[in-house]
Amino acid sequence: MTDRPLFPAQEIGSLAKPRWQILGQRGEPLDERARAELRDDDARLGFGAELPDARAALLAGRSRELGGEAVRDLGALFALRLLESAGLARVYDGEARRIEMYEYPIRQMRGFRFQGHVRSFDNKYYLKAAAVDEVRLDRPYHVEEFDFVRRHARAEPKLPITGPYTLADWSYNEHYLARQPGWKGRAARRSAQREFVVDLARRAIRPTLAALIEHGCRVLQIDEPAAGTHPDEADLVVEGFNAATEGLDAEFSMHICYSDYRALLPALLEAKRCAQWAWEFANRDTDQHDGYEVLKALHEYGDRRTIGLGVVDVHRDPVESPARVAERILRATRYLGDPARVWVNPDCGLRTRSLPIARAKLAATVEGAALARASFENPRR
Amino acid sequence: MNVHAGLTGPFPRSEALVRATRDLDRGRTTPEAVEEVFDAAERDVVQLEARLRLDTVSAGYLRWPDLFRPIAETWEGFAVGPLARWFETNTFYRQPILYAPPVRVPGAIAARLPPALARDPARARVVLPGLHTFAGLLDNRAGEAAPALAHRLGRLLGDEVRELRGRGYRTFQFTDPLLAIRPPDGPTAEAVVAGYRAIADALEGGTSIVWTYGGDAGPAFPLLDRLPVSVVGVDLAETEPERIPERKGGPGLGLGIVDPRTTLAEDPTEVARVVREVHARRRPPVVWLGPGGPLDLLPYEPAARKLHALAAACEALGSGGRP
Repeated sequence: MTDRPLFPAQEIGSLAKPRWQILGQRGEPLDERARAELRDDDARLGFGAELPDARAALLAGRSRELGGEAVRDLGALFALRLLESAGLARVYDGEARRIEMYEYPIRQMRGFRFQGHVRSFDNKYYLKAAAVDEVRLDRPYHVEEFDFVRRHARAEPKLPITGPYTLADWSYNEHYLARQPGWKGRAARRSAQREFVVDLARRAIRPTLAALIEHGCRVLQIDEPAAGTHPDEADLVVEGFNAATEGLDAEFSMHICYSDYRALLPALLEAKRCAQWAWEFANRDTDQHDGYEVLKALHEYGDRRTIGLGVVDVHRDPVESPARVAERILRATRYLGDPARVWVNPDCGLRTRSLPIARAKLAATVEGAALARASFENPRR
Repeated sequence: MNVHAGLTGPFPRSEALVRATRDLDRGRTTPEAVEEVFDAAERDVVQLEARLRLDTVSAGYLRWPDLFRPIAETWEGFAVGPLARWFETNTFYRQPILYAPPVRVPGAIAARLPPALARDPARARVVLPGLHTFAGLLDNRAGEAAPALAHRLGRLLGDEVRELRGRGYRTFQFTDPLLAIRPPDGPTAEAVVAGYRAIADALEGGTSIVWTYGGDAGPAFPLLDRLPVSVVGVDLAETEPERIPERKGGPGLGLGIVDPRTTLAEDPTEVARVVREVHARRRPPVVWLGPGGPLDLLPYEPAARKLHALAAACEALGSGGRP
């Protein structure tokens, strides 16, 4: 047991990038609105004094001269201070240096070839690669990014990284499928996918996790948003997780969102070194539907891991009241039977919301946790 | 073996079209300029289909946002709802919301078909939502029970087919993955059969194809064999070939022989072997070959390679039997 108060709050994913960072990264001088936002952000959070040259160059319109990396440093520091100022016990940099969670990791590996764009819906597309050879890691990634966070963080850093199952699911499997004999039906596809996931885990993700741990990272969140896409492959999610974390000494969690969690149980519970399930719940919690009821299933299976409880919806602007958040926390606690197992966070990354809305939702998360905590500390209130 | 081949769903947009539509969304180009890119891309797909000697022309349905939108945006009683995941894929559709009894709007679908199809309707493949999938995925707020709704949609699509037959179209595909993924039973199954019968009544010598994918169609065959359609298609990446039962009457057989879930191109010789095995066991009156699912799960170049593999498989089967 730690001496942490009940219901500590944590980051869960990306934040929207401020306008000044976007323009600065492009090497464009800040317009009046971006300059005003940078001044306001700095006045509120005080991060500019830590990188004064970068702040001054941006405000003076010298973005190109400053360079993208220095702008991203300032953006990362801004996000870090924003999360810390909200009162989060575990923080990261809002993924200020990342623009997505698939292409960058894949580009750090060999054995892949990008094939082109696939339409997601309407005029939205994503780039997709195929595994055309055995997966190999060029070099561990996210390490410099983590180093920056470690040097600057005042709260405990927690690093999010895309998991092996999701990287495999979002890629085409050519190499491993070609090795399967005969007709490439369901059985062959599944067998090939297993090889692909495990290879990704062992050859790319695990060395990256090891390097991050070597650099001092103690808390890592494996993001597996694709886990819910094929519920009958939950065992592959687990196999990838176990292979990626085998023999590593750190605290691991698994983030899954917008999925039918029941369909993934009990297979998911075989993830050996997963200390926490960080799942989205608030999005599905309405007056008509109890979004947290699935936690009963974890209790029934006897699973005693902690929960990263999604208490605010990242797809809607209206900000949940602290009372609503507290009620959700207490309800989840009843289902789990132990308040010490509950961490709180937004459902998923807040990048879909504007920064003011994101700040308000983080504040509601922390204030709601305080209300819930008070009901334990002062049960008669 | 009487073999036909053709695309069974949308073809991916070319990289040029991806750029153009992205630019449009970002205000960097005009709708007129994007239309020109659409026209060129459709011409490319038609030329590819012709070069590969496919029996039907689709022009790729490049402008259709999803399978339901042409209906959801035009027929009365519908609204376009939120994004929803298209089965076990990373593509999404907007869920149609049915808030009142649906009313077909004559001419609406015809106006949304790729212009290239209207120039040669006799060779065109008109792709429409399958009854079970349409009734099963829409958000039904109109209060009608699911079986009655499936039957009603069948009658409306029958009217649509009648209109399009009048315009010279002959081949109609009803894309119905849910039949394999979640086969209906009881009154819903009967309603689906009745709905397809309403479509059959409107065909007047045309060809109707029900194309399933995304799930093992093996358990659905007792129902698929009862459908009053010309052809039922199954996805051979999901349905083990040996699970396709012997035929006791029933329609022709569609086989999805190239898999849009992988960029790995199929071996035409292996495909021909599997098709021959299935044909020898089932003895369907006609075989339609195509991609197992929508090729727009792939980027353009790999999808084109898949289409070449399809054509090569047809060649390997011997083109003598093809009309």
